[in-house]
Amino acid sequence: MTSFRAQQLTPEPGTALYVHLPFCVAKCTYCDFYSLAAEGEDLDGTLEAVIAEVHRRAPRSPKTVFVGGGTPSLYPPEDLGRLFDELDRASGFRASAREVTLESNPESLDADRVRALRSFGVDRLSIGVQSLDPTILELFGRVHTAETALAALDAARTGGIERISADLIYGAPGQTVEAWLTDLRRVTAFELGHISAYQLAYEKGTIMTRWREEGRLPVFGEELELAFFEATRGALGDRGYQAYEVSNFCLSGQQCQHNEGYWRNEPYVGIGPSAVSQVGGTRFGNPRSLHPWRRAIERGDYPTAWEETLSPVERLGETWWLGLRTRRGVDLEAARASASVEPEEDPTLPRIEEMMHRGLLERVGAHYRLTERGWPLADAVARKFLDATSEREKPTDPWEPAKIVGPTSPDR
Amino acid sequence: MDPLLIRNFSIIAHIDHGKSTLADRMLELCNAVEKRAMRAQLLDDMELERERGITIKARAVTIWHEHKGQRYQLNLIDTPGHVDFNYEVEKSLQACEGALLLVDASQGVEAQTVANAYLAVEADLEIIPLLNKIDLTHSRPDEVAEEIEHSIGIDATDALHISAKTGKGVEAVLDEVVKRVPPPREKLSDPLRALIFDAIYNEYRGVIVYLRVVDGVIAKGQKIEMKGTGKVFEAVEIGRFTPDMTRTDELGAGEVGYFISNIKRLGDVRIGDTMILHKGPDVEMLPGYAPPSHMVFADFYPTNNGDFDNLREALGTLSLSDSSFSFDPVTSEALGFGFRCGFLGLLHMEIIQQRLEREHDMDMIQTAPTVNYHVDMGGGETIEIHSPGQLPEQYERLLEPIARVQILLPADYIGAMMQICNDHRGVYVRQEYLSQTRVLLVYDIPLAEIIYDFYDKLKSATRGYGTLDYTITDFKAENLVKLRILVNGEDVDALSSMCHADQADQRGRSTIKKLRKAIPRHMFEIPLQAAVGAKIIARENIAALRKDVTAKCYGGDITRKRKLLEKQKAGKRRMRQVGSVDIPQKAFLSVLGDREDSK
Ligand SMILES: Nc1nc2c(ncn2[C@@H]2O[C@H](COP(=O)(O)OP(=O)(O)OP(=O)(O)O)[C@@H](O)[C@H]2O)c(=O)[nH]1
Ligand code: SF4
Ligand SMILES: [Mg+2]
Repeated sequence: MTSFRAQQLTPEPGTALYVHLPFCVAKCTYCDFYSLAAEGEDLDGTLEAVIAEVHRRAPRSPKTVFVGGGTPSLYPPEDLGRLFDELDRASGFRASAREVTLESNPESLDADRVRALRSFGVDRLSIGVQSLDPTILELFGRVHTAETALAALDAARTGGIERISADLIYGAPGQTVEAWLTDLRRVTAFELGHISAYQLAYEKGTIMTRWREEGRLPVFGEELELAFFEATRGALGDRGYQAYEVSNFCLSGQQCQHNEGYWRNEPYVGIGPSAVSQVGGTRFGNPRSLHPWRRAIERGDYPTAWEETLSPVERLGETWWLGLRTRRGVDLEAARASASVEPEEDPTLPRIEEMMHRGLLERVGAHYRLTERGWPLADAVARKFLDATSEREKPTDPWEPAKIVGPTSPDR
Repeated sequence: MDPLLIRNFSIIAHIDHGKSTLADRMLELCNAVEKRAMRAQLLDDMELERERGITIKARAVTIWHEHKGQRYQLNLIDTPGHVDFNYEVEKSLQACEGALLLVDASQGVEAQTVANAYLAVEADLEIIPLLNKIDLTHSRPDEVAEEIEHSIGIDATDALHISAKTGKGVEAVLDEVVKRVPPPREKLSDPLRALIFDAIYNEYRGVIVYLRVVDGVIAKGQKIEMKGTGKVFEAVEIGRFTPDMTRTDELGAGEVGYFISNIKRLGDVRIGDTMILHKGPDVEMLPGYAPPSHMVFADFYPTNNGDFDNLREALGTLSLSDSSFSFDPVTSEALGFGFRCGFLGLLHMEIIQQRLEREHDMDMIQTAPTVNYHVDMGGGETIEIHSPGQLPEQYERLLEPIARVQILLPADYIGAMMQICNDHRGVYVRQEYLSQTRVLLVYDIPLAEIIYDFYDKLKSATRGYGTLDYTITDFKAENLVKLRILVNGEDVDALSSMCHADQADQRGRSTIKKLRKAIPRHMFEIPLQAAVGAKIIARENIAALRKDVTAKCYGGDITRKRKLLEKQKAGKRRMRQVGSVDIPQKAFLSVLGDREDSK
């Protein structure tokens, strides 16, 4: 077995914890998460392996816990109860965590379950609504209706969990901005604390991407994409939802603290197949495949499948990229300090200037953040920072004219 | 080896008439290659040759043929047919006493048939015409024989009819070679003189020298002096190409082979130099080769400034195996340090560029090709420039190279072709019917027009049947102007070009249009302008990028998404930043006319 540096790393107490349960009722057509249709799979065995990995790798006293997937709510409440009990035994999260989120889908969420989840320590629910348009739900391969989705939002409240987030996807083929805004209004009517609204992305390897490559789906123009993006920000803003990240909106104080850690490039431990961790400047991941992951766990091995350790300057570039996705932006001093880059080694300064000059970046107190015009260009701006901090592309010793000794071609 | 039993000959023809295929059959007949190792155009072993299906470098092979009970050594050289590689043909012919002039009997005489035949005539070689591809039903050997007689003036009535593909008639060709090609005239007893006609660099063995022994004998273990460079090397290994490198103890007058001595410095070997015996009798140097005349020039700049030294090294290594291009250091305001290279033509340029990328993993930007201009500075002083950037502020007259162009084409297309020649500032010289259906058209056309898009126009106007050959005959003063291109308000010297004043407006517009497509959108609007002097003659804008943002990015995605962003960045290979604008390679070629691959 190859040995990974990751195996020697122990997370600091308080490190954020993510647990991945990979099963769903059916695979959605746009989905590129590591998730499998549950039918015929060994749900119990997988849960046992997750629990075993929890005991081996969970950090002490995590400040946030996020159980995602897949559709964790698919598991019977007793099973989830066992998972959270073991999790607490291994990490003590019930005493330490400020936020415990569980991802769920409408078809497996009712008030009783919510009550059970609450008793396990879950205090935040992220619910996959995705769309309220029956045609789009069908195109997405969702197994619930709009009504079930709205009922699930109600159930979450009735069951006693206050912090609720709805996941939505816009920009489906054929959708108009008006139709989307109407759906969005129906969701905001619930006055949830948090909404994630994603522009539909055609990720590699998904069913929809294949359809699109086969020419079966119309392609959106850039202007229309931009119209959706800005209409979404506008409509949610009008209702008091602040865009605190590219696709995440919340009422005051309702940010997802777990995700905010990712965007600040902070450490986290991920458990379960495909889960990724970042500990001590190294990022590493479990296999994106059930069996190799389980085999490793059952053998008593670490399941690490890959790892990468970036140089300080590269880490700084990553911190810029991730931080610029948030409204808070990047604190230059803090970013340098956490990446251990000395100010005189910081190659991003010219980029900061350039982006400010172009009106895409602004400074608010200690933080640099994207301007209104910069938001839809977040990747283009990020690329500038990644460019500047990439180790490979840096020109080696710049050529000095004095070094020319004439061409080495044979004189003819 | 008794020189009387040696025959040295080249196979020459227009492109694609079957030279390499004929060489295949000869290798087979002489059992030079095992059956299972055989493949079509065996001698075309460079990756680019196989990919493009053309010969780029001449290849020499030694084969053995029995004739009337006597075993003869035949040194055959397969030459390239494309007009750009004329220089290879010229060099090859210098090592031969005979030439097989191959003509595709379905296509007939074409431009390089004539051009290469003339080279053989000038080299005073015995020319054996062959009518190839007679297996094709539409071949017309009798008519083509007539075309040969009319265009070249050699008797082709008894020309052998062969099929290089099926092998029909090839045995007879070998006999004909033995009978008609004279043996080398030089003597074994004279002091050694060998001509270096080629070389390659091998990582393990150093420079491998390709030589033809002119006088005397070269033997393993001898101390050999390169007369031109004065360097002395021991003959560690010598051998023949059969076609693989096969060791031998000695090579005598008239023979062709290789020489290995672990030579590590490229500069120690000069193509065209004479190899002699160290401390042997004093002999005269062989005439060597006339320097090639470069038709087009283009600059290569490394994408990363730090790669300049690597580029120089790569060019040095490459120039060993292709001595026909030149390179000199150059600086551009926009692109920094690079090399200005001279080539024999556009295909040659493309080949060098691709070899640098593939064989030497260079990532570079190439400017659009230009011709060389003569600048009359007044007071009898003339300077030569190889790029628009070198044009002085003040000068008397600007002269451009004029090519005498010979176009061979089916008579049906003559009207269309004349129109194209006129559109390209051509001056009619003469026309001649080679047969009922084939015409030779001669024009004087500025070379700059030929490299702009003339060749592609010719091909499409004649449905691919027209072919051309050209030589520079004159430099003429014309009303030429420098077309400047401004990107985002900045004058990009590497994008400027020369053109006739009357064409400036149209060329400026078309260049800007192409640039608009070639330069990717940026986070800001990019104005593009074309100017002559201070006058802006065309402008367009590249609209700003409006939306570019990933919807989702969480802990599990970070590494993968970052790599994705970096990959989009890696798509920036062959891209240079000028000011704040990233300009990709294809943009630098926008100043050319629309052209496809120049085969
Ligand atoms: N039908 C037929 N095709 C032939 C014959 N000889 C050659 N060819 C075909 O003609 C094409 C060109 O042949 P080559 O041998 O590569 O021609 P070449 O003269 O070496 O070409 P360059 O080296 O590029 O100048 C190939 O597709 C051959 O298979 C022949 O006798 N009959
Ligand atoms: S429910 Fe969520 S995780 Fe499961 S397939 Fe659909 S999008 Fe993917
Ligand atoms: Mg060939």
